[in-house]
Amino acid sequence: MRAIQYLRLALLTLTLGLAALIRPAALSAHEAAMGVLEFREVRPGAFVGRWSIEPSIGAARVDLRVPSHCFLRLPEMNCGQQGLVGPITISNLGSNMSVVLIRLIPIEGEPRSYTISTANPVVTVLGTDAPTLEAWIELAKTYVNYGIDHILLGADHLLFVLGLIWIVGGGWRLVKTITAFTIGHSASLAAAAFGLIGVPERPLNACIALSIAFVGVEIVKQQRGEIGLTARYPWVVAFTFGLVHGIGFASALAGLGLERRLLPAALLFFNIGVEIGQLAFVLLVLALIWAHRRLDAFVPRWSEALPAYLIGSVSMFWFFGRLARMFAAI
Amino acid sequence: MKLKSPRALMATAMLLAGANAAEAHIVAARLGDFYMGAMHPLTDLQDVVLWTATGMLAGTLGAKGRWLILVFPLGLLVWLPFGSALGAASTQLAGAAMMLAIGMLLAAAAQVPTLLLCALAFAVAMIRGAANAADLRPETDRLLFAAGLACVGYGAITLTMALTAVFKRPNSDSATSWRAIALRALGGWVAAIGLMMASLVLAS
Amino acid sequence: MSLRVPRALTTAIVSFALTQPALAHEQAGVAGGLVSGLLHPITGIDHLIAMVAVGIWGAQLGAPAIWILPITFPLVMAVGGVLGVLHVPLPMPEVMIAVSAVILGGAVAARLRPPFPAAAFIVAIFAIFHGHAHGAELPRAVNALAYGVGFVTATGLLHLFGITIGTLTRWPAGERIIQGLGAGIAGIGCYFLAQGIGAFA
Repeated sequence: MRAIQYLRLALLTLTLGLAALIRPAALSAHEAAMGVLEFREVRPGAFVGRWSIEPSIGAARVDLRVPSHCFLRLPEMNCGQQGLVGPITISNLGSNMSVVLIRLIPIEGEPRSYTISTANPVVTVLGTDAPTLEAWIELAKTYVNYGIDHILLGADHLLFVLGLIWIVGGGWRLVKTITAFTIGHSASLAAAAFGLIGVPERPLNACIALSIAFVGVEIVKQQRGEIGLTARYPWVVAFTFGLVHGIGFASALAGLGLERRLLPAALLFFNIGVEIGQLAFVLLVLALIWAHRRLDAFVPRWSEALPAYLIGSVSMFWFFGRLARMFAAI
Repeated sequence: MKLKSPRALMATAMLLAGANAAEAHIVAARLGDFYMGAMHPLTDLQDVVLWTATGMLAGTLGAKGRWLILVFPLGLLVWLPFGSALGAASTQLAGAAMMLAIGMLLAAAAQVPTLLLCALAFAVAMIRGAANAADLRPETDRLLFAAGLACVGYGAITLTMALTAVFKRPNSDSATSWRAIALRALGGWVAAIGLMMASLVLAS
Repeated sequence: MSLRVPRALTTAIVSFALTQPALAHEQAGVAGGLVSGLLHPITGIDHLIAMVAVGIWGAQLGAPAIWILPITFPLVMAVGGVLGVLHVPLPMPEVMIAVSAVILGGAVAARLRPPFPAAAFIVAIFAIFHGHAHGAELPRAVNALAYGVGFVTATGLLHLFGITIGTLTRWPAGERIIQGLGAGIAGIGCYFLAQGIGAFA
């Protein structure tokens, strides 16, 4: 039993420093790298395009390619009789511009949105009819990838999951706990995406940081032999904080201004992507725990408490940082 | 468990063979420099061969190997600040020489002392760290890249050691059980590749 | 027991072979090198049968040959590879490879059991010739490392295949089959030998 404790410590120590490093980059990637381009149809087949959010590299440097029968010279785009049907791509997507949302506002029918991202650099625009099978596959590809990216870059979510694994250990208890976390964040993600609940983003992020600090405290308690709330009812804690984290996920979707009729599907695929990423992370951590156990690799006794305090420090660092942003905004 | 390890290794190998360095840069665009650092060595065959060989050698030696959990990632970071101070040819030659040395030790089922094992692993990590650093672009965030590199080094070496230890089964000490032979044969393969690569670098 | 790992490996090879053609165009580097390295020993029938014969003979000879062979053969072959890389000419490489198939096949068919050092010496000589043929290709490969990994792996797997067949010696009927196989290998070797000498003459 002792050994397990040690190796969890080892794992955490190694991952923590990194976690602290990733977050700022991830944040900036999400905030600055997005662009929104709006095409409004003025006569059948003729559009006027306008950047409603300009990407940070400047609108002039975006290498936008439209279907070959369309003639594009911003702000004008003429697609003639056929209309705007076919692939749209941006060839110079990169770390400084990772997502571009293209909104089409036709003369008749509802506006439509397409997301071009590094994960999915080509989107196919379809007519105004009901979405075909290809359109669904396109949507699935885009949002599953987007979900995977989002969880992989969300060091705070991953750190929370790591803390849960540490407290709960392996086996059925872990399966139940992770499932509870999943149900929790899926529920609140859906609720937030449909606008049923609205929580301002900045206080919420501070809350997420605090939830990780809570897990850190619980780990210390466990080391001292006390049975904390998480050790006793792991799924309750996981579900509750899952609700908080889920609203955080929703904020990533909110920026994309999706078409209403596609929202449920996009939400589903995004969530699937998040689960894939989370599952991969959990499996990796479990594999490493297994490897440490196999190799009898312990952390020396004197540094036993270090990782829990590191978790606490990192999360409080995030918390104060986010708190500061919150007040800066007011 | 018996079958899992070779299958898992195979699956990983197949997965990796499908990737290349350009993909590591695509990963960078998509997920940032941390993941680029983590992907980069997995897409370079020299890293894959050398890391696997190091991990297997350590794994066959039992408990001595656990020092590598710390030594290997540290070694990867040492040379990083100096970037491409070593030329491509000398990196390749050093890598090939390490392949030959580690492969021979593995093939001979030598009882390498802990200190030598750590020194070998550190040397491998340093050489490959330098090689990975040579591919850094000016816009890459070095700190994140280094963190990713150290992370993947830690994960890869730990998992390889554990898988090897499980495959070899510590209780079967005989150097001629078929499991031990399989590992030693792989060592022979690695040494053969190292020998030919070294001659190729020297010849050209 | 010894059948299972080869199966996993063969699965891997097959899936490699099946997935690669599509990828070969985009990734001429690593994947291309691996595939051409893997295929080089397999597509040359003379190489292929000689390597399988080495494996069968090793199994026939039993310990220690059966386990020294897979460990040291690649190394000795690599020495030949080095000679190939350095363009050190060897006498009549084509003929020698065909001769190796004839002799090894014949040894299997005749259940020849020379003392271990003698067998090792014979196999080592042939290993150098086989390695030389592969090594000469090495500098031309797009990704030399991938090519090297590929052909060493393929050679090792061919041995494994041979050793697996060789385990049939445990049964009397299996022994007959193996002798038949050895004779077949020697026959094919004779064909290549005739071809090689014909080209030579």
